[in-house]
Amino acid sequence: MNRRPWKVVEERRAYWSMISPAIILYIFVFAFPIIISIVISLSNYAGGKMFGGQSWRITGFQQYVKLAGDPYFWLAMKNNIYIVLISVFGQLPLGLIFAYLIYRRIVKFGEFWQGILYMPAIISVIVIGIMWNIIFSPYGLIADVVNKSYAAGFSRQVEQIFAEAGGFQITDQVVKQLIAVSDPSALEIFAEPIEELKALLLAYSPDQFAVVKQDLVNLLARKWSAAFLAKRDVAMLPILFVVLWMWTGMYLILFLANMQKIDTGIVEAARIDGASEGQIIWRIMLPMLSGVVVNAAILCIAGSLNSFDLVFAMTGGGPARVTQLLSIYMYDRAFMGAPDYPLANAIALAIVIFSLVLIMLTKIVERRYGGRE
Amino acid sequence: MTVKTRESKFERIISYFGKAMAYLVMSVFALMTAYPILWLIMNSFKPTPEYRVNRIGLPRTWTLVNYVGAWKIGEFSKLIGNSFLYTIGASIGIILVATLAGFAFAKIKSKATAPIYGSFVIGILLSIQSLMVPIFLEVSQLDRIINDLLRLIGIIGQQNINIFYNSRLGVLLIYIGAGLPIAVYLCTEYIRGIPDSLIEAARLDGAGYFETFRRVILPMAVPIAMTVTILNITKIWNEFALINILVSKTELKSMPLGIYRFSGTMASDYGKQFAALVIGMAPMLIFYIIFRKQITKGVFAGAVKG
Repeated sequence: MNRRPWKVVEERRAYWSMISPAIILYIFVFAFPIIISIVISLSNYAGGKMFGGQSWRITGFQQYVKLAGDPYFWLAMKNNIYIVLISVFGQLPLGLIFAYLIYRRIVKFGEFWQGILYMPAIISVIVIGIMWNIIFSPYGLIADVVNKSYAAGFSRQVEQIFAEAGGFQITDQVVKQLIAVSDPSALEIFAEPIEELKALLLAYSPDQFAVVKQDLVNLLARKWSAAFLAKRDVAMLPILFVVLWMWTGMYLILFLANMQKIDTGIVEAARIDGASEGQIIWRIMLPMLSGVVVNAAILCIAGSLNSFDLVFAMTGGGPARVTQLLSIYMYDRAFMGAPDYPLANAIALAIVIFSLVLIMLTKIVERRYGGRE
Repeated sequence: MTVKTRESKFERIISYFGKAMAYLVMSVFALMTAYPILWLIMNSFKPTPEYRVNRIGLPRTWTLVNYVGAWKIGEFSKLIGNSFLYTIGASIGIILVATLAGFAFAKIKSKATAPIYGSFVIGILLSIQSLMVPIFLEVSQLDRIINDLLRLIGIIGQQNINIFYNSRLGVLLIYIGAGLPIAVYLCTEYIRGIPDSLIEAARLDGAGYFETFRRVILPMAVPIAMTVTILNITKIWNEFALINILVSKTELKSMPLGIYRFSGTMASDYGKQFAALVIGMAPMLIFYIIFRKQITKGVFAGAVKG
């Protein structure tokens, strides 16, 4: 080998001038903000000019102490962990199974399935969040489908009650039966359900049965409501569902692309030797894909910490903060009401540390159980 | 002999059953994915009063009135230009900065490469959203400092000028910086694969480093540049969390911020809400239909190594 043809000085100058734009921007967007968040989280800075304004100083770790005893912080942390879990144990296995079905040609038209399942990933998360918010709302798709089935069931029950009574007869017996099948919360409009409903029904003429039935359905049939979503333990479910819904296609594509690099001969041979599809996934595909699976898990964890916009658009962290994430909590502390920058920056740093810990855990798991790439 | 055929017949039934199950699961998932999106598009063409009574079926009267209203309320004509500017500007910026750095990291030997390149790779995993508060503090405080300095030396009077906060430049710089880690990583790994002999040949022709970059590296790096750019276009067009804290003036906002206006508060005017959401997703859906292959390739490239 000859000596390197370029002069050392020229080489060094070229090197630094080529990487300096990248370094400056990296410092601007990543390194310096991290330093800011460390400094501010340890201070009593209360907004305004950082230099030449109201004076502020380093006051120590009390923000972190405050966070450790803050139930909202731990609730947000729990919600973040839920998202990480659904991502790693929902998206990855589903993506892997779908990829396998296409790879083994158990289902045909692979391109078609891929094309559809990846679609949510390229749509704005804001659009997705608002869309699902509507779908889950009392005026949305789910409410409509469920209400229609409730109404159909209720009108069948009404018909049956009147059929047993032998026509449009308003007796106490009939009214009691009607009340028994009605939605209890709908009956709250009556002070004396039996008397009042009977009076109401007597106002119709006997040939108006279809009208009566329709009115009863409108008035008394059960209606779907998403009120249960205000409860602490289930409020996250729609969000977790949407997270799964959005990103599974991405892992399908990722796994499929890597499976297609595996020699099909190996799988065919195993099949001839009598291995079941399940055994092939578990014993052959997973070990061969272990490197990819770990990378996907890391990607998944890093991605699941970027769920700010989805929750922001879907629930805004509500109702009563039960769907709050760490990033939403941080945003609220900094931008809603009186800003609490030290606390917000402490949360920022907590998220950074949380993500690094999770990624290190994944690496450790890989080292212990991982096969070859 | 007979036993064997019966067994294989049984196996065949099992395998048909498995196949049917596989198709069923796949179809259910695909339907769950596609139907809400189709539902949204369909409802955007219904007048709001019709939506109240017909939430699932096709529109009985097709109308564009929702789109006209949503376009006006969202002030999208002010926003769409910004979205194009941010997306195109930042994508070009990222790819230029990343290929340049990638060339240096891959082809010029230096002790500095390991730590600097390493910190870019770590950056891939950092959640940029977790830094939005410090980034906000940084840009707003920098503006104050610069304004104070300029005022001190008498260049500006009492008025403030926006350099990083509430400025297109600030948004572009933050977007370029946020996109760099993955782009630098992909470009460096790709340029490493370009044969040294090509670079030596350019050097023998008397080309300097930057000329070599322009004449040899850039043309060779077109495939990875395409992949990275397509990945970035979808990301930047849809970006919300950062621009939400970087600008407060309507004339600087991008499409997702306009669409966010239609969350919740619009609850009584579904038609316009649906139309706004379709306006929000249509550009990327069209982009997806045209570039599906390349987008898929980008996903794959972005995840090959951790």
